[in-house]
Amino acid sequence: MNPSPEILIVDDNPADIDLVREALAHSSCPSHVSSARDGVEAITLLSAPKNEKAFHAPDLIMLDLSLPRKDGRAVLAEVKSHPALRRTPVVVFSTSCAQHDILGCYELGANSYVSKPGDLEGFLAAVISIERFWFDCARLPRKEEEP
Amino acid sequence: MSSIGTVASAAAEKGTPVQQIRVLLVEDNLSDMELLLRALRRDGFDGEFDAVQTAEEFAQRIRTKSYDIVLADYNLPQWTGMEALEMLHQEGLDIPLILVSGALPDETAVGCIKRGASDYILKDRLARLPAAVRSALEDKKLREERERAQRELAQKVEELARSNRELEQFAYVASHDLQEPLRMVAAYTQILGEKYRGKLDEQADKYIYYAVDGAKRMQTLIQDLLAFSRAGRGTERSLTDGRVAVEQALSNLTAAIRESHAEVKFDHLPVVLANHSLLVQLFQNLIGNAIKFRGIDTPLIQIAAEQETGQWIFTVADNGIGMAPEYLEDVFIIFKRLHTREEYPGNGIGLSICRKIVEQHGGRISVTSQEGQGSTFRFTLPATEPEFQPGHTL
Repeated sequence: MNPSPEILIVDDNPADIDLVREALAHSSCPSHVSSARDGVEAITLLSAPKNEKAFHAPDLIMLDLSLPRKDGRAVLAEVKSHPALRRTPVVVFSTSCAQHDILGCYELGANSYVSKPGDLEGFLAAVISIERFWFDCARLPRKEEEP
Repeated sequence: MSSIGTVASAAAEKGTPVQQIRVLLVEDNLSDMELLLRALRRDGFDGEFDAVQTAEEFAQRIRTKSYDIVLADYNLPQWTGMEALEMLHQEGLDIPLILVSGALPDETAVGCIKRGASDYILKDRLARLPAAVRSALEDKKLREERERAQRELAQKVEELARSNRELEQFAYVASHDLQEPLRMVAAYTQILGEKYRGKLDEQADKYIYYAVDGAKRMQTLIQDLLAFSRAGRGTERSLTDGRVAVEQALSNLTAAIRESHAEVKFDHLPVVLANHSLLVQLFQNLIGNAIKFRGIDTPLIQIAAEQETGQWIFTVADNGIGMAPEYLEDVFIIFKRLHTREEYPGNGIGLSICRKIVEQHGGRISVTSQEGQGSTFRFTLPATEPEFQPGHTL
């Protein structure tokens, strides 16, 4: 497991970003969380040269679908067709339970699709499950050495 | 082609009301024409009378002027009155045509009527002509009125269906989009309550509790509203075994049945043409309700079905707390509750969904009950074609 895993949350709702931070704050190995509020910002952040704005390539991307400017599907498609970014797991984290959204995301290469639970307990539990799975259970590719 | 024009009618002179009509005569014999006109005028008709002899003249006339009636000779030098009728049909004109002719074989006359002629008049019985004209005009008027009524009805039905669809869509979108901001309110008031409990004063804790409780209740209301609007969306029908539907409903209610020791009895439930999951939901809501509103006795629920002309009548009877007769209609209204949340939890959505499901299948639902004496819910579903259930007894 990485010493301090990086999670990028892409969500237009700051309240949801804070809820994710809230959930992760109590985890045994706190993740470093960065956020983007729309698809364009997310792509800019992901393709930024290393260390600019102190941003590190994330180990995991949590992606909402309905985003301003560039929506989640477009971000997902770009990430998954990028030679370097495609190896980063993307968890789609959206309120939609619609089958066409779920199917569309997996077809675009999403690593998993989690519906945001409506109640607080469920929401926090889902975020913790995601973190546990990707950072405690799954093995992730080793990050390239920082210069 | 000749225009015979308007001539003062004898009837007008007699003081009887004159009916103005536009007549197109298809006739090559001038004296016959004169007899026709006289017969009509004598009986209260007047107006515009045009006459043609050939098919070309006829076609030109009907394209340039509108007529109330066509009187056509059957035997014409190059064509027949029936060809005139076909030309009217081809032009999409609904103008009654009466054949006026010398003697014809009966089968020819009957054939003409079958193919759309309004009537058939023999030239030596012209006295019958005015009555035939009147009746043809009356028929056309009735036909037009009926068509207009049908058009209006179809339009109303379409409008109603559209407004229903819009309402359905509205309820769905509204409840779906309302969930998002509400989720924030519920989550953050809850976090506020947990993180700041005891740090403000007692009053503040109470206020936060009310806010959390209200937000959570609204969340379940919205989910129920969504469930209600979804209940109208299952349109696929298949042959569904009532027994299988009840069994599935019971399996979904396992916990409630075990906890209440409820006994559910049923036999001989038919196969009906219905949406399977909606039928399961219907039984589940009715059985679930019977368990929820049980009395002091162990719940006993009896489900039965009997066939009556073209439909099945299902009954779900319980020995629960029942209800006063004045509430029997109200219980099917969305969010209508007869008890406080403290007595019985829930939003009052279950029976409104039942009604929606039953009505969507073309049936009716009702309840009979007495306070303290149980309730019997009765709903109907259309019977399937007899060949679908050969002696189907389960």
